[in-house]
Amino acid sequence: MRIVIFTATLLALLASLAGCKRSLDERDVRAFIDKADNTARKRFAPEICELRGKDFKLHLKFQGHEPRVPPTELDMDRKLFCKEAGNFSRLRQYELSRNSIGISIATDRKTARVIAEYVETMPYYEPNTFPRTLDDFREFQVVARHDESIVGIESGDLVFLSTDSESSQSLVAKGSVSLPYD
Amino acid sequence: MLLVMVGGLVIHHYVSKEEAPPRAFTELEFAGADTDHTGSCYSLSTVLVANRTTGGAARTWTKPRDGAWSLMLDAVTEGYGGPVRVFQKFTFEKGGNQVRLVDVEAAKGMKTGIKENVDELLEMPNALHSTPVDRCLSPGAAGYLFVPRR
Repeated sequence: MRIVIFTATLLALLASLAGCKRSLDERDVRAFIDKADNTARKRFAPEICELRGKDFKLHLKFQGHEPRVPPTELDMDRKLFCKEAGNFSRLRQYELSRNSIGISIATDRKTARVIAEYVETMPYYEPNTFPRTLDDFREFQVVARHDESIVGIESGDLVFLSTDSESSQSLVAKGSVSLPYD
Repeated sequence: MLLVMVGGLVIHHYVSKEEAPPRAFTELEFAGADTDHTGSCYSLSTVLVANRTTGGAARTWTKPRDGAWSLMLDAVTEGYGGPVRVFQKFTFEKGGNQVRLVDVEAAKGMKTGIKENVDELLEMPNALHSTPVDRCLSPGAAGYLFVPRR
């Protein structure tokens, strides 16, 4: 009986190990980025967070719509990033378009560098204001984003290890954009 | 092999578990910012809950030394130029039957003085009439900035 249990456990472990990724190819990475983009569109924080490695770091440089005001720069670790992803879920109108993607696999095939260009459109709530409803805004913000990410294998799954992001924001009148509520 | 894997899982469970102060520490009375360290009538946990430190910010406890714990509150706010990171790191230390705020680090433009932070931390429990520690339950009890319930 003991041998049967041991063999079953061993087989289960081997099966799970077989499912773990050992090396990357471009198709895997592209599929992963597609999945990450769709997850961002859903704005469900736990799924967004799940795709980030345990030591994930984001460096963000953000040029606001006022060109006279210098860009802000900040670093986030995974914990803060995930907390912010939670706030992101409050948006009811959001559009993410990917305009380009470039993937280069490291020679050891353990990591890959992904360079992608995005455009995000979402409501713009002015800082230090308290919207009465989620529809209480006058303009949409259109954010053009250039992301350089390193993705790699962690515990058998593909995850973002780091992202260096540069964003530039512009505002457009609320009536000039039609975004569905979801 | 199974033993090694189970052992690994157990070690991982303990190593990856986030640190947090024991209840024996957070249930101590939070001290006032006067030279006598007059008790505030509120436990540290009551002060933290009243200030909603469990809410919007990412929080991380670390233990800088024996008898002391630091609470880091990290958040991102929207400024006119874009998102800005704001943080506050409070270090609390056990002193007798109390816990004292001994150090504050904060993002640029935020207060780092001990007295102003202690006073600010006590505003919410006083405003909300949070539950005081046992010694302050009786009428006429006194504490640093403590506003007894009428």
